[in-house]
Amino acid sequence: MKITRRDFLKGTATTLFLAGFNLPALASNSKKKNLVVIMLRGGMDGLCAVPVIGDKNFEKRRKSILIENTIKLNSDFALHPRLIGFNKCWNDNTGSIVHAASIPYTQRSHFEGQNLMESGGRTPYKEKTGWVGRAMKLANLQGDGLALSLPMPLLLRGIPKNNNYFPGRGKLPRERTLELLRSVYAESSEDELLEMMNYIKKRKNEEMMGGTMSHGKRENKNLARQAATYLRKSDGPRVAVFEVGGFDTHAAQGGVDGTHTKCLVEMDEIINNLKDNLQEAYKDTIILTVTEFGRTIKQNGGNGTEHGYGTAIFMAGGLLKKSQVHTDWPGLKRKEMYEGRDLNATIDARSVYASAMSTVFDLDFKRIQKDVFWGEDLQNLSDKLFKA
Amino acid sequence: MKNFFRKVAFGLKPDEKAPSDPLTWAQKQVESIPELNWKGKHIYSEKEMRKYWITQRVEENTTLRKKYKNDPKGFEIAERQLENDTGGKFWKNYELSIRHAEGVRSTHPVLAKLWYFWGNHFTISKTQRLHQYSTAAYQREFLRANMDKTFETMAYEGTIAWPMIMHLDNKDNIGPKSESGRQEWRRREKEPATLNENHARELMELHTISPKGGYTQEDVQELAKIMTGWRPKWTKKSDQGTDIRFMSDRHEPGKKNVLGKTYKNGRKSLKIVVKDLVNHPSCREFIATKLCRYLITDHPTKQMIAPIIKAWEQSDGHLPEVHKAAIKVAFEYNDKYKKFQNPENWWLQTINMSGATYSYPIPEKRMDKYKLGNIVSERLREPDWMLEDLGYHPYLAQQPNGYSDFSSDWMSTELIIRRLLYAKKAFHRYNLEDQIDDTIHEKIVRNNFDNPDKILKILSNAKSNEEKHMILFNIPEVLRA
Repeated sequence: MKITRRDFLKGTATTLFLAGFNLPALASNSKKKNLVVIMLRGGMDGLCAVPVIGDKNFEKRRKSILIENTIKLNSDFALHPRLIGFNKCWNDNTGSIVHAASIPYTQRSHFEGQNLMESGGRTPYKEKTGWVGRAMKLANLQGDGLALSLPMPLLLRGIPKNNNYFPGRGKLPRERTLELLRSVYAESSEDELLEMMNYIKKRKNEEMMGGTMSHGKRENKNLARQAATYLRKSDGPRVAVFEVGGFDTHAAQGGVDGTHTKCLVEMDEIINNLKDNLQEAYKDTIILTVTEFGRTIKQNGGNGTEHGYGTAIFMAGGLLKKSQVHTDWPGLKRKEMYEGRDLNATIDARSVYASAMSTVFDLDFKRIQKDVFWGEDLQNLSDKLFKA
Repeated sequence: MKNFFRKVAFGLKPDEKAPSDPLTWAQKQVESIPELNWKGKHIYSEKEMRKYWITQRVEENTTLRKKYKNDPKGFEIAERQLENDTGGKFWKNYELSIRHAEGVRSTHPVLAKLWYFWGNHFTISKTQRLHQYSTAAYQREFLRANMDKTFETMAYEGTIAWPMIMHLDNKDNIGPKSESGRQEWRRREKEPATLNENHARELMELHTISPKGGYTQEDVQELAKIMTGWRPKWTKKSDQGTDIRFMSDRHEPGKKNVLGKTYKNGRKSLKIVVKDLVNHPSCREFIATKLCRYLITDHPTKQMIAPIIKAWEQSDGHLPEVHKAAIKVAFEYNDKYKKFQNPENWWLQTINMSGATYSYPIPEKRMDKYKLGNIVSERLREPDWMLEDLGYHPYLAQQPNGYSDFSSDWMSTELIIRRLLYAKKAFHRYNLEDQIDDTIHEKIVRNNFDNPDKILKILSNAKSNEEKHMILFNIPEVLRA
């Protein structure tokens, strides 16, 4: 049954693909697969984004901040109603959630947690490279990383020559100024500067911010549009990394219009704009989220939530096997919760990431497990979550 | 030779006379700590700044959260006003101006450049709003003020300073077997006393001996035990923002063993263990290597660090001697190695060599006009977003290990674009008279380079003074020093 379904999906995808594109494009495009990672900083509340249905333990603990009018995903889980972009993915069988997952970190410090969600390790600040950077090195993807931020995030470190895009204020210098400097760099054998200058020469003024007041281009929804145009090129980057902050809602987390929602919508707009602008390349893409931890089940006195443990991972893209909520649900009775207060994590988030990278980078899962995650005990979820 | 003025400082102004003995000129600057150059109304102590931090944190976390618990919009507006009342958007600009005046307006730019080094070594990263109120004061009061003392003094005072204890969570480092840890309410409230190893680990890894010191996880835990109880004094009213005290009721009892040495129970052990850590051979090697990496090259050699280690050993880590040794090594390797300058140092060098220091940093008079509670004008907020835009904001490091000293981390497309944009910005910092002065670039180049003709030939291809500025401050000879 499963096989039939997968074959059916494959068939549909190919048909759609052929309809939009001529053959040469297909030939050059068919191999390139993309990975997009959205880092959610501050601790994303998996149960605000993907609430469990009909659990009294949950509802009574969150009376004032419960999300209403949710979208039912299956008999057990619903989706936050404002996640319109992700819902579109879900409806066309390219949106998935892994629930009750987390990186193996239980100390509830943002600081350490965010370091670990990027390094992929267990000891804060020990590793100086990120899990994506290390996997890219394994797959020999030099020059294929794109960060949508000014500094290069730890997540991408570990492989040289990554590009980044986070538009500056003002206009690019004139072509002749750039050319003059380019020739100076070439004459003085400044290879790295030369390479950067070659990147810069391809930039266009539309990709810069206009006056001091136009912050729009640095907004994630617009960075996503720009990233998609780079990713869909056959010689463009294969990995893109976004950052969304502000999930740390100790107060006024609110319901459907609250602060947490605002952050979730920002994430959703990235997914939505990537999907729309990647066009046919969406088919060969995995988008996924990482966060340092989830939030407590119980709301606090300020209608917010505290730092927790288990949370949800959002995934979208044509390389997903199907739309599903993949989980080994731990339950929300007091005994079932982590330290009696948090959603437990029954899946190591790194298992999901290792499996996704195995699919996107065409690397054996075991090699990733060994060389990227130090041989730690991770589960190969490739067959369950992704297309072969 | 002239490169040396950029290597250990920020170059020479167009009309500045080159010191005849550069090495002595540089070394003299690190012998004592002069007053800050800033001539504004007041420079705030760490404790004064902490008061603003307390108001911001306590009001926000208690009063506002209760008052606006069902009104996210109202919360946002009230939060913004509170931030204005406490200067949350102002202080970073004020402090950056103080900091940068040291680099480009003072008589001791070499000392300033080394001060920036220590600020990054003892990083307070962007967390708990410390960056808005306390980080800069920490750098002035616990780092700069100790640059004429031993490294041991700087390390100890820097460790037990309030901002660092807060930054690395030692507030939450409580002995499980301590008096407080055994109290009944902890079981009832499910708040067990636990060690928090964060500060102990960074004290070894980042501040003193580095992983090369060969410590184990057990050493980290034992050091954490020694550090238990060092936290803001807890009172019934508040445990936020009070002075750091050793609270014996939170101290883990018993002897501790770090790197093979036993330490007694109690308050005095922290000072002793810091002394032992700074006297560990790995510590001087680590710091000497970092100094060379900052001033000379990404990959310092054994020969480079040897004289610095020797100076350290002979002076018991007296920082003026350590600094002088580092400056001498930089002087000797001046022609052989050129270090790619980090964005902040590049920006200061650009302003200084241009001779635009009359407009940057923002003059004292203008800063002093600002009144707390008001919105901070775009103009006054410029230093803050400029440094952030350049990618090197000294109060906004993302992690406790601070900004990288490796050139490769400063080579990204966006960061190079920023240098093009900011070279142009520096040109527009000029008053009109300097903008239309067609001889100004020749003055800059002749005063700062041994090979002026080669550079002037490149500049002759530029069509305007503005373009000359953009090219000059982005050629490899200026990006590196």
